[in-house]
Amino acid sequence: MARREKTFHAVAARASGDARFFSEAGTYDRDVRLITLRGVTLTYPNGTRAVEDLDLEIDKGAFVFLVGHSGTGKSSLLKLMYREAVPSAGTVIVDGVRVDTLKRSKIPQLRRSVGVVFQDFKLLTHKTVWENVAFALQVTGAATRDVMRQVPRALDLVGLSHKSRMFPGELSGGEQQRTAIARALVNNPKILLCDEPTGNLDPSNTTEIMELLQRINLKGTTVVVATHNVAVVDRMRRRVVRLENGRIVTDEERGFYHRGLGQSQVLSG
Amino acid sequence: MDWGKVRFFLGEVLTNFTRNAPMQITAIGTVSVTIVLLGAFLYVRETVASFGAGVLDRIEIKVYMNPDADRKTEDAVRAVLASDPRVLEAVFVDKKAGLRKMRDLLRKELDTSLLTSNPLPDAFNVRVRKPEDVPIVAQHVQRVAGIATVEYAAGTVTKLLNLANVFGRIGVVMIALLLLTAAIIIANTIRLTVFARRREIAIMQLVGATNAYIRGPFIMEGLVAGLAGAAIALGILALADTQVAKVAATIQFVPLHVNEGMLALELLGVGAAVGFVSSWLSVGRYLRS
Repeated sequence: MARREKTFHAVAARASGDARFFSEAGTYDRDVRLITLRGVTLTYPNGTRAVEDLDLEIDKGAFVFLVGHSGTGKSSLLKLMYREAVPSAGTVIVDGVRVDTLKRSKIPQLRRSVGVVFQDFKLLTHKTVWENVAFALQVTGAATRDVMRQVPRALDLVGLSHKSRMFPGELSGGEQQRTAIARALVNNPKILLCDEPTGNLDPSNTTEIMELLQRINLKGTTVVVATHNVAVVDRMRRRVVRLENGRIVTDEERGFYHRGLGQSQVLSG
Repeated sequence: MDWGKVRFFLGEVLTNFTRNAPMQITAIGTVSVTIVLLGAFLYVRETVASFGAGVLDRIEIKVYMNPDADRKTEDAVRAVLASDPRVLEAVFVDKKAGLRKMRDLLRKELDTSLLTSNPLPDAFNVRVRKPEDVPIVAQHVQRVAGIATVEYAAGTVTKLLNLANVFGRIGVVMIALLLLTAAIIIANTIRLTVFARRREIAIMQLVGATNAYIRGPFIMEGLVAGLAGAAIALGILALADTQVAKVAATIQFVPLHVNEGMLALELLGVGAAVGFVSSWLSVGRYLRS
């Protein structure tokens, strides 16, 4: 199995022309992989099968789109990664931690290494931008000193330093989403999971947010974006994992939204 | 000390309170009523207990001899009493001493010089170790020949104390029910606060707050509600206490041996405990689901 995996990735790496897959000794380097799902099935209590026997690997520093119609399991897949959902079968490994068997008391630790952003922002309306971002640190028991240092940094990254005293209701949709992103990043997580981050935004705000996500990715954070925004996916030309009925149907290294338009098709199924 | 953290925590607690003030007031009110009743109950019980104990300890059995009883009968009674381990002491009071005592007692109320003969018989004043032994010892002595009557006041007192005991038990049950009610109301209040703040809780969980941390402000809320209720109750009780003290001052024989400071601490403790436990259970149930 291990051997097969090695060659498999060697092929994949060569196909994408990515040298990072190999350490100096020329063998596959386990340290590059951040998220691994193997044989994962997720069945909700009402019998709906959201994800079925799915394998997926995401490397450190990657930018990955999850695409597909609504109800194809994009959100469920993300939920598996931050332990909002527990798989009925299979293993989920995030940053070296078995998430599927993770003890309830260990969930907070996982959540601190994974930032999550949603379509509806999930901001606290009675708190200012600053307070919303600081909240994420404060509830983890962070020292005030760290809060005072980290919050300005996160707000600066998303370009909202000048609006830190405003309330979410006084901001545009794009600004609200940027606040949410700042909150997700203030803990310095390794992974940023975005569930339809531009679903509520107009095209210009959408572009703004996607550029921000790209910048965050360039700084080394692994970004996974679930979306059905065709324009966003097609313009960015990043890895596109396409889902249908809870299964991966295509996985393209520099893909388009629509199936078959990509040049190098790897890791299918 | 990280004051920023403290301020954040207190801010969260305050938010909880303002989120559903009417329910909070109901919860505090219920705790108050419960604690007032509990306090009054404990106060009365302790008073009755100390009063009863004081009276019972002083109960004497009076063994009156026949007027024609001779020295022999007297010795027989003395022997019976001396051999009985339940008897603490037995004092023989002869006719003359008895009359002197009565004269002393009645000096102000009656002109005792009107008494030309001594109507009193010889008697033993018997004190026993335990109040409940009074009837047994009395019966025992009665069997000795030459005794006119054996008297003791214990019957009425023990009956009264038994009654107080029964009432006490009913009181305990009622207070337990009231405490349960208060706990349920606080738990419900906390549940409403939790519900009102479910967005915040979801976000806290999302960004990696531990359950213990999320619980904190809610438990503090329950604790504060319980303590506030108890504090109000103590105020009411203190007011009532001054009124009772005024009345009690006019009744000399009622001894008030209630440790009020201790009682106040106990009541605050009960309030805090009710608030703590109910909020703990309430949030705990939410976080586990």
